[in-house]
Amino acid sequence: MNKLKKMMSIVLGAGLVLSATSVSAFADEPYVSYNYDAWYDAVPSQSGYRVDEVVSGSSMNLLRLSTPGDDLFMSENASATISNAKDLFYEPELDEFWIADSGNNRILRLDKDLKLVGAYDKLKDSVIESFNDPTGLYVTISDGKPVVYIADTANARAVRAIAVSSTEMISDQEFVKPETDLYNSKTFNPTKVLADSGGNVYAVESSITQGAVQFAPNGEFTGFYGANRVEVTAAVIAQKVWRMFASNEQLASMERNVNVEFANFDVDNEGFIYTVTEAANASQDAVKKLNPAGYNIWNTNAGNSYKFGDLVEFTTAEVDPNFATRLTDLVVSDNMNINVLDYESGRVFQYDQENNLLFVFGSKNSTSDQKGTFIAPNAVESRGDKIYVIDGKKNDITIFVETQFGRIVHEAAGLYAEGKYEEAKDPWEEVLSRDGGYWLAYMGLGKAELNSGNYEKAMDYFEYAEADVSYDNAYQYYREEVISKYFTAAIIVLVVIVIAIIVLRILFKKGIIGKKAKAKGGK
Amino acid sequence: MYEFSELGWIKHVVFHPVEGFEDLRWKKKGSIKYAFIIVGLLFIAMVASERLRGFQYTKGNQEIFNVVPLIVQSVVYFATWVIGNWSICTLLDGEGTMKRVCINSAYALVPYIVGTYIGVFLSNFMTLDESVWVNTVEYIGLGWSVVLMVQGMKAVHQYSFSKTILSIVLTLVAMLIILFLAVLLISLFQQVYAFFYQIYTEITYRIRG
Repeated sequence: MNKLKKMMSIVLGAGLVLSATSVSAFADEPYVSYNYDAWYDAVPSQSGYRVDEVVSGSSMNLLRLSTPGDDLFMSENASATISNAKDLFYEPELDEFWIADSGNNRILRLDKDLKLVGAYDKLKDSVIESFNDPTGLYVTISDGKPVVYIADTANARAVRAIAVSSTEMISDQEFVKPETDLYNSKTFNPTKVLADSGGNVYAVESSITQGAVQFAPNGEFTGFYGANRVEVTAAVIAQKVWRMFASNEQLASMERNVNVEFANFDVDNEGFIYTVTEAANASQDAVKKLNPAGYNIWNTNAGNSYKFGDLVEFTTAEVDPNFATRLTDLVVSDNMNINVLDYESGRVFQYDQENNLLFVFGSKNSTSDQKGTFIAPNAVESRGDKIYVIDGKKNDITIFVETQFGRIVHEAAGLYAEGKYEEAKDPWEEVLSRDGGYWLAYMGLGKAELNSGNYEKAMDYFEYAEADVSYDNAYQYYREEVISKYFTAAIIVLVVIVIAIIVLRILFKKGIIGKKAKAKGGK
Repeated sequence: MYEFSELGWIKHVVFHPVEGFEDLRWKKKGSIKYAFIIVGLLFIAMVASERLRGFQYTKGNQEIFNVVPLIVQSVVYFATWVIGNWSICTLLDGEGTMKRVCINSAYALVPYIVGTYIGVFLSNFMTLDESVWVNTVEYIGLGWSVVLMVQGMKAVHQYSFSKTILSIVLTLVAMLIILFLAVLLISLFQQVYAFFYQIYTEITYRIRG
């Protein structure tokens, strides 16, 4: 009896411990993971990323800036938090992060663990020494020294500066408002800046719709780059018709249909520039991949549709009619995945190069101030398998790290993108065993089976994936296979039938069988 | 002249677009029972066209299937066509009775139905590159049916060709009016129903205390 009690208590105790641990294991991310199926319905999915850490100013050691005697000392009253930071940039060569600390008018330089290693609030050799609302940042390395491109918005300039030490930055070239008729805006307040491998500088100016303002390395204005197209809506067409009949006075008073300017960009390690358009619910040119001539590689005119962000009309609109998608930043990570940050919902959407949605993670703040939720997500950056999001109101950086599931998907998607379908088969199967609704896995497995000649299996997978064109491909091969397999048999059967018919006819005519035969027999 | 079974008559009418319906009229043949069967087959053809095509030919969300629009597109449209045509042509000195209009219209639909069935069948063995064959079969069926429909209406009312076209256009207008009134009536009756239901709930509340 005692033994039984002991056993019972042990079992109960073990159960308690187990349940307690399992509770902590279920302390889940503060957002729902979902993906879109073939009909663009949101379906629950496994998390690809989880919140690793939230780094605020104090854990970045920003106190050093106001500590006299510290080699990074800036001033007595230098803020120990970041304030309304608008941009975050990761420089892979030095393995460093750079922050445009817009609210404090300074540039911060952090190491890979987000610890402060440098800070700049002055620009040597410049007419205007201090920064005023620096909102954009881009860093390259030249001769071992960081070359920093800063969009110094309120000072109406973009700057190329060289960081000579951890506190000193020397102005190299300033890019100011172009004095030419081509440039028809009254202001030049660049919000984002980027440089290509040739040193050409691209600046986003919100009042310019012809694209990014492009400068030669010597500060000369060279034109505009990569404009969005005007979205053709019913209103635009109606106006086009009205314009044909309107008088000059009427034309002057009519509002003009202009395209929406893109808000931000990033460059991948192959040199392609990606742009993102922040206008609410931009359905066209929301994200573009531009070739050096400024043309979109993801060409919707070729019949493909490229969808980014939440597909409002299908999902969230039912919950909240005021919902809008506002894609504010993007970053291309090392594995060529494109991470797009939605300011409105606080979600990061990760796509592969074929615009297949891999993961959705992150969330806007709800009532609770949970890790992994944002108030004003301003910029997204990636380093290795981690994604960093900087929040301009909570003034911290949230680090997302990929989960086990995320790792497997990335492995599979990477192989898939390289065309190694057969190698990707195992990881895709692993993905499916964890999430049976993962659309891309069926596509991947279908292509693997198609490549290895199992057409019937491939057809099954493509049917799950609702991929009718791929299915059609597989079916064509399958049909060929079946026909060649049964061709001789079918011909033999056909010949036998034809001969049989002929023989029967002859017999019938001669009266050996059929009515005549019966009639004969009757007589 | 001609002596056929009922099925034979359908075959005769379908394969003789010019004289078939006249023969049908003179012989006073044609069966309302077969007309209804044909309309039923039309409905089945529409369901088949939605559900039984080869995978590469299926469009839209296959998770959701609603049979009501298909009933409306087949049976309800056919009924309004017959009623509308009869109403218009009675005013325009047409000779056809409603029964004759129904029979002729149904017989005229046969090529379209057959074309759809063949198309659905073929789509299971055709790749998308060969979709032209599927489409051709279906369009031939449709075109044939349109020709038969004009001939059928012409014969049943003993109209000239131009008057037939006019009557068909007017019939389409009449169909619109009928459907509009039907929708109106349904929504009104819904309100009447809601009214009585409210009275009922009111009374039940009072009775309960």
